[in-house]
Amino acid sequence: MSRIEDISTFNAVREAGLEKMLPGVPRIAVGMGTCGRGNGAEGLYHAFHEEIHGGGVAAQLTGVGCFGPCSEEPLVNVAIPGKPMVILRRVQASDASRILSDAAEGRITPDLAWCRVDEWDHITAQLRYGHGFPELPLWREVPFFAGQKKIVLRNCGLINPDDIEEYIAVGGYQALYKVLIDGHPEQVIEQIKASKLRGRGGAGFHTGIKWEFMAKAKADCKYVICNADEGDPGAYMNRNEIESDPHGLLEGMIIGGYAMGCAEGLIYVRAEYPVAVHRLNHAIQQAREYGLLGENIMGRGFRFDIQLVEGAGAFVCGEETALIASLEGLSGRPRPRPPFPAQRGLWGRPTNINNVETWYNIAPIVIKGPGWFTETGSMKSAGTKVFSLVGKVRNTGLVEMPLGTPLKTFVYDIGGGAARGRSVKAVQTGGPSGGCIPQEMFDTAVDYETLAQLGSIMGSGGMVVMDDDNCMVDVARYFIEFTHSESCGKCVPCRVGLDRALDVLNGFTVGTGALPQLELLGELGGMIRDTSLCGLGQTAPNPVLTTMRHFRHEFEDHIIGQRCNAGVCGDLALSPCENSCPLHMNIPRFLQLFQEDRMEEAFDSILMDNPLPASTGRVCQHPCDNRCRRQTLDDAVNMREVHRFLADSMLGSDRFEGMLERVKVRKQPATGQRVAIVGAGPAGLTAAFYLALLGHAVTVFDSQERAGGMLRYALPEYRLPKAVLDREVEIIERLGVQFVFKTQVGTDISLNELDSQFDSVFLSIGTWKESWVYLPGTELRGVIPALPFLEAVAKGGAPDTPLGPRVAIIGGGNAAIDSARTALRLGSQATVVYRRERKDMPAIAEETLAAEREGARYLFLAAPHRIVGNAQGQVKALEVVKTRLAEFDASGRRRPVPTGEITRLECDSVVLAVGETVDQDFCRASGLTLNENGAITVDRFTLETSRSKFYAGGDVVTGASNVSNAMAYGKRAAENIDARLMGAGRFAGLFQRFEYEQIALANPSASPRRVSHELPASVRVHGSDEVVIGLSKPEALEEARRCLRCDVRA
Amino acid sequence: MPQTKLSIRIDGELVQAFAGETILTVARRAGRFIPTLCHFEGLRDVGACRLCIVEVSGSGRLLPACTTPAQDGMAVTTVSPRLAAYRRMTLELLLAERNHLCAVCVSNSNCELQALATAMGVTSVRFRYRYPKLPVDLSHPRFVLDHNRCILCSRCIRVCADVEGAHVWDMMSRGVGARVISDMNRPWGEAPGCTGCGKCVQACPTGALAEKGLAVEEMTKRGERALQGAIRQGGRL
Repeated sequence: MSRIEDISTFNAVREAGLEKMLPGVPRIAVGMGTCGRGNGAEGLYHAFHEEIHGGGVAAQLTGVGCFGPCSEEPLVNVAIPGKPMVILRRVQASDASRILSDAAEGRITPDLAWCRVDEWDHITAQLRYGHGFPELPLWREVPFFAGQKKIVLRNCGLINPDDIEEYIAVGGYQALYKVLIDGHPEQVIEQIKASKLRGRGGAGFHTGIKWEFMAKAKADCKYVICNADEGDPGAYMNRNEIESDPHGLLEGMIIGGYAMGCAEGLIYVRAEYPVAVHRLNHAIQQAREYGLLGENIMGRGFRFDIQLVEGAGAFVCGEETALIASLEGLSGRPRPRPPFPAQRGLWGRPTNINNVETWYNIAPIVIKGPGWFTETGSMKSAGTKVFSLVGKVRNTGLVEMPLGTPLKTFVYDIGGGAARGRSVKAVQTGGPSGGCIPQEMFDTAVDYETLAQLGSIMGSGGMVVMDDDNCMVDVARYFIEFTHSESCGKCVPCRVGLDRALDVLNGFTVGTGALPQLELLGELGGMIRDTSLCGLGQTAPNPVLTTMRHFRHEFEDHIIGQRCNAGVCGDLALSPCENSCPLHMNIPRFLQLFQEDRMEEAFDSILMDNPLPASTGRVCQHPCDNRCRRQTLDDAVNMREVHRFLADSMLGSDRFEGMLERVKVRKQPATGQRVAIVGAGPAGLTAAFYLALLGHAVTVFDSQERAGGMLRYALPEYRLPKAVLDREVEIIERLGVQFVFKTQVGTDISLNELDSQFDSVFLSIGTWKESWVYLPGTELRGVIPALPFLEAVAKGGAPDTPLGPRVAIIGGGNAAIDSARTALRLGSQATVVYRRERKDMPAIAEETLAAEREGARYLFLAAPHRIVGNAQGQVKALEVVKTRLAEFDASGRRRPVPTGEITRLECDSVVLAVGETVDQDFCRASGLTLNENGAITVDRFTLETSRSKFYAGGDVVTGASNVSNAMAYGKRAAENIDARLMGAGRFAGLFQRFEYEQIALANPSASPRRVSHELPASVRVHGSDEVVIGLSKPEALEEARRCLRCDVRA
Repeated sequence: MPQTKLSIRIDGELVQAFAGETILTVARRAGRFIPTLCHFEGLRDVGACRLCIVEVSGSGRLLPACTTPAQDGMAVTTVSPRLAAYRRMTLELLLAERNHLCAVCVSNSNCELQALATAMGVTSVRFRYRYPKLPVDLSHPRFVLDHNRCILCSRCIRVCADVEGAHVWDMMSRGVGARVISDMNRPWGEAPGCTGCGKCVQACPTGALAEKGLAVEEMTKRGERALQGAIRQGGRL
């Protein structure tokens, strides 16, 4: 070790460093950032140490910082001489010995290997490791790294942060040397200006211009300060940068000090970053020893020193004037600017403050030039930015991307999208000062201007991804709680305004809010933003204002609907399952009543929540599964099957009459009010059930011959035996509901007639029009829409057009699968053609699998191109064009685009199952206000249409959906119609109270999830017998015992 | 050195100013009314109450008149519907923050907060009152500190530190929990630095700092026994 005083001593240090970076023995580098340590890197390091020193293994062990992918920690880099450096992930201490023995033999432990690095561009230098291990992907080929450009993070996770020689080996301090040799500080400033580098702390002020102000300021003493007071929740870029590469920061600051004519630098780092503090102190000490800090730096006569100051952790001290106050020993409170720090800063002297990451960009710009720097990034925002990508994505960690990269690249390509069964809803950028950007706007380029236009900010680089489990009201509340507790209290809008905003938001999350308060909150947010003294207050309302702008419906759900669909606001939901159920069935209650051997009450509980219990027990999309907390242990409780068991054992037993009597007891005295329901599908039947119980005279009109709608005419017998449905309809009939069949409203009876004969009308006509695909050949014989096909078979007949031996089905929804399975039962071969991948199919996954077992074939990534006919005008083949998945669209799935590669699928008929739409003719003729899809517009909460007395719900409002969603509309319509006819509050009175155990099971069943039995595929495909056989009583009971009872309140 | 003369427009009117003057100084001299609470003539300004915000053309931000220097050619708007709405909301927030019960306040009808609220038509507060439980420091022989009335304008702190030179007052804690403290959070009466000059009491815009003997319930009547008798009688009824 010697002081660097000229080029020869400098080169000597570099050689010594290179010797360490590329030793003649395998180099084992353990990621020892805080993230690595948190995942056991220290134990791992010791294990390697023991092996190497105890066992006399020839290997060099070193600790490095973090390479970025936090979800894969602990990371270990293994560099065997002459071979690529290989990154191992999720390494445990027990792996140490085999990694070493493999390395000694020139091998890489295969199960731990992730990717290889043949050569690395440290920007200031290149390092070649070697070639080999072709079986491993290059680091850039790993999705998490693809597209990343590591300028700031150039050394992170690769060099030992405690060793200045390794930093110098990869080109460190060369920029400083160049600047000092050139001797033109003003040229450095010109370079920085030309590079268009902007402050990485969030505000994005041009660094070069800031430096120029400082350089021009005349004073006996000037200061440069590094702002390392990183305090955003979910952001840790600066911590990792310092922990991994402390000299990179020092070099930037020394160059800055030289360019601006300062002799003193200060780094204000938060004390909560002990590893960063330790490494920085060590680095400063080393830099002094090597003559890079202090007097006569590099023998060029420049004097500069850096002092480290630990902040006490107040968020507001990241604001520059508060930071200066804190450095001066005062309490951290901002003061108004002007005067700006460049005029009067620390101790009244001109002061320059830049963020950690800004400083890291200086050396590369000096070495490579501003032209190189502006090649990366967007027009107004040059270079890269490091983001901490956290939250509800598969891959989390630090990513450095060119500015201007679209948000969806972060979320989907790098982050890998949401976890299974979830969808990403929003991204919060800029931490508590930023805003939430909704999924529809993920095309947004991430740069200073674009984010500001959306009401967010780039901030220091936090990027928190949220999925449908996140409540946006709660997110807003959380961030306001944070800024509220971090407000310094000096100015009124921030101090009191945030406190009152929090009070209003707290009210929303517990269901005590009111709509006028939402308006007040918006006004207050604007006032805090416009009138606060410093950046903390000015940006603090952003999370509220952006969530109010983009997720206003969630606020309304909380305020008007008293619902938190994400299930986060505990006071507004009973349990995750209840909350996710469109009908809000009290699932824990029937599971508990069942366990207490109170079968009849358990069924009563179910029926009152859900009047079609046996049908939904079979065909519901069961969103409850997706939310069940049991998933964190093993799998969701199979609530739907227990529900089905209870329904079947009651509806099919001699206890049916007794049950019906119990229901009839709950029926209210006749009110004399007449209600018409149009459509006897799930929505209409549900509304009829509740309205009849409420004492109204209910008449249901339907164009078909029997009740059930889609349940009867679209769902095949093998999924839902019609005898089951009949039993449920019988309950509704015997409550006094009148059915008028074969009557088409609009044709046989007009809306005006309904208006004059009834006190209220509920329209639930569903979506009975099959969407048509416009491609050549649809006019051919043998092209069949799915819905009429399924209907014809459901009515017991054969389809109008015979299918022939080979059927192609276009679509990926439940209708496509139902059509395929029905075709198989009619003796045809079925091939389902779908333009995306299997995981993107809207159909229930169990159904897709069941169809496959029965012999259905799938052709994924294939879009219909044209249907080919023979001379007789009969379908002969379907030509499909192969698709490839392009960028992510608004649905969070990759968009399929045709490749032009066409294949031919020989077939005798084509079933079109591309979705159902509302009957546009009916809707238009109704005279009601419609939305852009032609569906009827209703008030989201009351379901009132534009015509007085008329309500609408179900698919005719939402477009094709599913049974439980439609039923939920029916239930809500009943409540609102009754409230309008009789005054509010009667609906809640229908429901009986149950007394049952309110203690969670000490030992819930440890059994795995029970899935129901199925008829063997070879048997079931030859008939229309029900495929899924329900659980037996012991099985259902065991399943119920798996419930964790999230509804129990402490 | 002669002062550099500037000309600026305030609400359209051309006004002369001198370099180094704030917008507030210039505007007040020109007879404009800009509400303030933390500003106090003779003390350095801190820009804390945000009532004096004005619109300056060319700046997207609203700026506090008390700390923004006048610049040649500047066009300032001191009255606009937005400013009025924000100022009213600021007063609403201050009234909701602590227990400002005018009827029982020592400064009733002698209070800047009350006067501004009246002048600006703040007749109701749309936010929920916080009603914090705050102490009253009666330890000083001559003065009272009632935190319930304090608006944290820091005029007492500045007048004590910068004019009297005693620096008895300071601010502790942060956010809505911030409180004025004497010495190192010792009772005022035990603060050795206090000279008892009373400047803070005179600087206080509300009833937070007051002279003893004036507050509600401090009234004593000579006919003590008669009063006791009346209370006893009332009790029997």
